[in-house]
Parts: sequence; structure tokens; C-alpha cells
Amino acid sequence: MDTLAQLVLSGILVGSIYALMSVGLTLIFGVLRIVNFAHGEFLMLGMYGAWAMSRFAGVNPYVGLLLVVPAMFLFGMLVYKLIVTPGLDKPHLVIVFATMGLSIMLQNLALMIMSADLFDVPPMFGGRSLGIGPLYVKTELLIGFCIALGVTFAMRWIVKTTYLGKAIRATVQDREAASLMGIPVHRIFLITFASGSALVGLAACVMLPVFSVFPTVGLNFVLIAFVIVVLGGMGSIEGALLGGICIGVVQSMSSYYFAPAYGQLFFFILFMLVLVFRPAGLMGQKGTANLGMNP
Amino acid sequence: MSTIVKARYSSPGGASLARMPKSGTLSYFEIALLAACVGVLVLGIPESFMDVVLLSFLWGGLALAWNIAGGYAGMISFGHAAFFGVGAYTSTILSVDAGLSPWIGMWLGAILAALVGGVLSLVCARLRGPFFILSTLATAEVIRICALNWASLTGGPEGLAIPPVASLASMVFDSKQTYALLMLGYLVLMYVFTKVLEASRYGFYMFAVRDDEDAAGAAGINALFVRTAAMALSAFLTAIGGSLFAQYFLYLDPTHVFSLELSFQFALLPALGGLGTAIGPVLGAFAITPLSELLRSYLGDSVAGLHLVIYGGVVIVVMLYFPGGMAAALNRLAARKGGKGK
Repeated sequence: MDTLAQLVLSGILVGSIYALMSVGLTLIFGVLRIVNFAHGEFLMLGMYGAWAMSRFAGVNPYVGLLLVVPAMFLFGMLVYKLIVTPGLDKPHLVIVFATMGLSIMLQNLALMIMSADLFDVPPMFGGRSLGIGPLYVKTELLIGFCIALGVTFAMRWIVKTTYLGKAIRATVQDREAASLMGIPVHRIFLITFASGSALVGLAACVMLPVFSVFPTVGLNFVLIAFVIVVLGGMGSIEGALLGGICIGVVQSMSSYYFAPAYGQLFFFILFMLVLVFRPAGLMGQKGTANLGMNP
Repeated sequence: MSTIVKARYSSPGGASLARMPKSGTLSYFEIALLAACVGVLVLGIPESFMDVVLLSFLWGGLALAWNIAGGYAGMISFGHAAFFGVGAYTSTILSVDAGLSPWIGMWLGAILAALVGGVLSLVCARLRGPFFILSTLATAEVIRICALNWASLTGGPEGLAIPPVASLASMVFDSKQTYALLMLGYLVLMYVFTKVLEASRYGFYMFAVRDDEDAAGAAGINALFVRTAAMALSAFLTAIGGSLFAQYFLYLDPTHVFSLELSFQFALLPALGGLGTAIGPVLGAFAITPLSELLRSYLGDSVAGLHLVIYGGVVIVVMLYFPGGMAAALNRLAARKGGKGK
């Protein structure tokens, strides 16, 4: 029984970190419907940034995020201006392929500069785990969980209630009508895309104490992120949290009871089932899957 | 050039106005390209360049196979490595374990891949756009994980090796020239098949379904059938390329054969060359394969990854500013010259 509880608990914690990484993609893919295949490479960049600050300036990643997050916001703006804007009025495939090119480019740029070695930050908190009753929790994961929870609710509040959030949702529902209502559509897209990028920078700082960074680290996580966004429901931020936790629990249970490789297998199968039977995801409204799609 | 049909044609490559294909036409450009390919083989070239030529042929054929689903039927797949791998592994396992000649085994692999492709498109019949792309990605990952872990059948992460004993029956040859001929045969067959397909009734069904599925349905086209058949066909032909790949390299590594990178490559070559055209994937493969091989051999040792940085940059620029790919750029050039001639 303790084993099961431990598995569920670690699943929830790891899953919440996956969710944090997916909230950014929820904005970019779920809300804007921009397929950003370079999302994983954004994560990789953020992780290298946090690592470099820890290595060369001794800055703790949780402090380093104060610099990484704004930097990633600017980087997101740059990518939006250079790559997304020219492709916006073209079929969605153009952006799919262009961001794929960006992903190849960033991955290999990292390979050139940083080599294929794995880097990580020295363990914090003396590498000890917290004991809660009979269960053990890695402190870094617990911090990640709290940040993920906080960010999810903050984002949900922003998207649901603030003017900016309403403008974002209006723009997604009908770009033309929104612009007629005086919403600066392009600026809204820019801010949303850059925020998505900043959020993945935040996720990078939270993940670095737990995972090592290497040039193709993004590839491992980008698929999980896409799965979570669709599983949770396109554009649903609380859905991303729920989806992330589901994936985390499925992965930790199947890795324990079968083999680590099957952890991945199960979540891809879960993903296919969701796509086939409920493309709107767990928390998405019916029909959101087709909203705002370019033909 | 005189009969230009301006179809409403929201091609995935973004070529908004394109000529509808006509049957039985072969342009001078195509003849010259074929002559050049044969010439290269007949005249012979240094052994060190043979690899590049041979791989260009193979990639050209594979890009054409991908293009049937991705370019013509509008079913963008980032999971074709699965079909490629199924083809490669089926023929290899049959020849190594059961002694069946790859000449037969590759058809069985192709049928198996076609089944996988058909089932995939039936299961994902409702999915469009990015959702379809993600479902193909997920399928390829599922197959990759299975191949990696089903060690008794696939050799697991250690891979499978084909004994390097040259004989016609086992499709293992001594000279690269013979392999190049084999790959050229595959490429030409794929090209002819594509040309016939695009001018056939079924080809027009595919265009219709891609451009407006509802309208196609209203005109009495069974869209589900068209999509399923296109995917199965594309998977079938990709698997044959996979078998040829296995016979050339004589070693299969599941982390490469089923990899995402390979799937992306299948999609990028036609996208760069020109989606939904017959010549596009060939141009893409002929331009990118030598480029990346040469860049890799010149730059690879000094700076790992630089050739792929350049490649990624090329992809971004071409996709954003020439979404019709090289084929559309060439067409535009030809049209401009034709205009001047009058």
C-alpha cells in the first residue's frame, strides 16, 4: 500500500513539473493554435541559461529564474517576429516546418557550443528527501509542485478575468471580429507567444535541479508537452495541470510495475485514445479542437 | 504551358495557383534530370561520391513515397519512420532468420506497413491538422518503443546485422554501382508511379479531399477511403525504401531506423522541394542530401552539428519565403523565361 501511495505521490510531483512545462505550450499551441515544434528547444535554452548562471556565478536556479524568465520572454518575442509573423497568413504547415527548422538549428547550435555532455547543478538541500509519514518526497520536486500550482492558478486567473486574458480569448475565437472591437490582434499574439516562452523558461529553472541538460533534452519533453496539452484540453490551463499529473502518475506506475520503457508506451497509447475518443481533452469544451484552425 | 488551369488550390505548400497535372507529359527538365542520373552511373564517378549519389536516389524515392500522403492527400505524417522501419525490419528478419530472399520479403514488409498505415488513418479518421500530425508522431513512438524492447524479434538496442555475403538472391552486392542502380530503379519507379497517380482519377480524388473535404464528399467522393488508401499506399512504398536501406547498410539500429529525426527528414525533403508535386521531392532530395553529406564531411570533424545548423536555417528561410519549395521557384523562373520568349 505504501508503495502504491509513494508511486502516486511521485507521479503527481513529477507530473506537476511536466504540467508547468506544458502551460507555456498551452498558450502557444492550445490558445494561439501555433504549432511550435521548437518548444522543447526553448526549454533546453532556459535550462542551459540557468545552468550557466549556477556554474559561473553560483546562482541558485530558483533565483536564476528572475533572469531566465525575462530573457526567454524576449527570446519568444524575437522568434515570433522573425519566424511566426511571416508564416501567420500562410497554411499552418508553414509554421510547423519553420519551427521544425528552428528546432534543428537550436539543437545543433547547443551541440556545437556545449557538446553532447550532460550538465546538472550540484544537489541542493544536501540531497536529502523530506519524509511525510511513511512517504518520501524529493525537496526539489515539492518546490516544483508548489510553483506549478501557483503558476497554473495565476495563469488561469489572468486568462479568465483580466482584460488581457479576455482579449486573448476573443482574438482566438475570431481574429477579425476582435480587431474590429479594437483589440490589437498582433500585439496580443506577440504577448501570448512571448509569455508562453517565458513560462517554459520558468519550467526550465524548476526542472534543472531534477533533470540534466543536454542538447536534445527538449526532444524528450516536447512530446510529453504536446500530449499534455491535448490531453488536458486545448487551451485549458487547469486541464494542462490535470493532464500533466495524469501523465506523471501513469508513467511512474507503469515504470514500476512493468519497465521504464513501458512508461512512455503507456502515455502514447493513452494519448492516442484521447485523440480518438475525446479530441477536446479532459477539460476542454467540445469543439475546441477545431476552433481557430487554419485550413 | 498553354493550358493553365487555375484551380482553387490551397495546396499545403502554399502554392495558391498551380497547374493541374496532365497525363503523359514529360518535360525536358525531367528528361535531362533522368539522363544525368543514368549518366552518372554509366560514366562512373569516384567511389567516395558514390555514397552521396546513391543516398540521393534513395531519399528521392522515399520523399516521393511520403509525398503521396503528405503532399497529395494532405495527410502530413511525422511518423513515416515507423513504416520505413517496419519495411526494413520485416525483410531483414525474414532473410536472416528464415532465409527468405529480401526480393520477396520486402513486399511482405510493405504489406505489413500498408496495414499499419491503413489502420492508423482509419483510427485517426476524425483528426485534422496538428492533431493528425501528433497522432502520427505518437504512433511512430509506440512502434519505436516496441521495436526497441521486443529484443527476441528485433535484436533490441543492439540492432540486427545482415551477413555481408554478396549474392543476387540475398540482395547484397559488392559494388556500390549495383546498389546505385537499385536505388535509381526505386526512384524512377516511384516517380513514374507518382506521375501516373497524379493524373489519374484517384489522384484528383486526393486533391479534392485535401483541398475541401466537405465539397469532395458532396461530389460523391468517399473521403475516408481516399485518405486511408493514400496513407496505406504511402506506407507501402516507404517500407520498400526501408528494405533497400537495410540491404545497403546491412545493419539496422532501432534508435536510428525508427527515429523522429528520420521522420522529420521524410517530411522536410518534399516540403523543401515542393509539396504535392512530382518533381519537388526529387529536387529536395537531390539538393539536400549532397549538401548535408558534403557539409558533414567538410565541417563535421571540426565543428559537430554546424551542418545541421545551416540545414535548419535553410529550412526556415525556404518555408517562410518560398512555401511552394524549389519546384514552385523553378516554375516561376520557367514562366518568366517563357514570357520573355514570346
